[in-house]
Amino acid sequence: MSCNHKKIQPAPAVITVRDSSAQNPYATLDRSPMDMSYFPADFPLKKMNGSKEKMPIARVIYSRPHKNGRIVFGNSTNSICHYGTPWRLGANEATEIDFYENVVIGGKNITQGSYLLYCIPFEDRWTIIFNSNLYAWGLHIDSSYDVFKTDIPVSVQLPSLEDFTMIFSDAPYGTDLVMAWDNVKVVLPIELSK
Amino acid sequence: MKQLMIICCVAFSITVCAQTKIPTLDKSPMDMSYYPANYPLLKIQDNTSEPLVARVIYSRPQKNGRVIFGELLEYGKVWRLGANEATEIEFFQNVKINDVKIKKGRYTLYTIPTAGKWTIIVNKENDIWGSFRYDEKKDVVRVDVPVQNLGEPAESFFILFDKINATSFNLIAGWDNAKVVLPISLN
Repeated sequence: MSCNHKKIQPAPAVITVRDSSAQNPYATLDRSPMDMSYFPADFPLKKMNGSKEKMPIARVIYSRPHKNGRIVFGNSTNSICHYGTPWRLGANEATEIDFYENVVIGGKNITQGSYLLYCIPFEDRWTIIFNSNLYAWGLHIDSSYDVFKTDIPVSVQLPSLEDFTMIFSDAPYGTDLVMAWDNVKVVLPIELSK
Repeated sequence: MKQLMIICCVAFSITVCAQTKIPTLDKSPMDMSYYPANYPLLKIQDNTSEPLVARVIYSRPQKNGRVIFGELLEYGKVWRLGANEATEIEFFQNVKINDVKIKKGRYTLYTIPTAGKWTIIVNKENDIWGSFRYDEKKDVVRVDVPVQNLGEPAESFFILFDKINATSFNLIAGWDNAKVVLPISLN
């Protein structure tokens, strides 16, 4: 299925390599703090509490921008995320998803390993894209490293979320990766391969 | 009895539907440090002259007016070098710490702080919370490093990397008025 989206712009010739707040002990904390979600949910806590499971199935590492009174998704230049324009599913570093075992997404086998995750949001659907160019900043994702993409429908998130959120929820086939911000939610079904 | 069964079924299904708990923002937010420093930014500029060596994922507790070392963190007790999940360090190539070879891979980092020195611990465990279930049998290496005074107290706990030369670098960790420096060399 082809999607009409803008070509990823190449990185500008000069980007000031500002020290991330991580490199300056006295910098204020990032306004889009990093977070991590596991599947099974709260795996590290459960492991500490003596759960027998040796390994999780997946985890996502992302940053959580705040709505802060802005328009989040839209067509206008005022919106944080523009329909049809790639968005890094968070802020700062590109969002990373780690699979500890092989999974099936959109009918395709996805090999165990780490991937960059980004999306192209539209009003009625998001194209979710897995990319192999790991450890990159999220501002410019090189689409030549795209590994797989799939479209998922948009639904309504209630209550509206101030902070962008990614969490895994239980599903009979494995798990759903739920991504939500403002009053928009998408769900990416992830099947565990038998 | 039938009514009780129906109530139980409804209650169960509501619980199941409400299982996905939206995480609130943490008061000890997560952060990430790379070596080479700022690697992800350098990467999008095609400016990575040196390969990726290490990355730390940790959470940053806040001083918040408290006395940290010796009070909030007891001397002689294992501390997770952060907050929440156990601090994770990933080496993307083999390295050496204190003459001990460490194969590339993911590890957890802990420390035992005292007034004059910290014992830094690299441990084979992964994907675990805190240091409550810290298992010394899974240690890969332990190194004692002296405590240095941070002239100006740091409000947020921090971990970052700094280059020494072409084959070695430092992991620097600090909070409040204390910091330590752990040398790491490429193997």
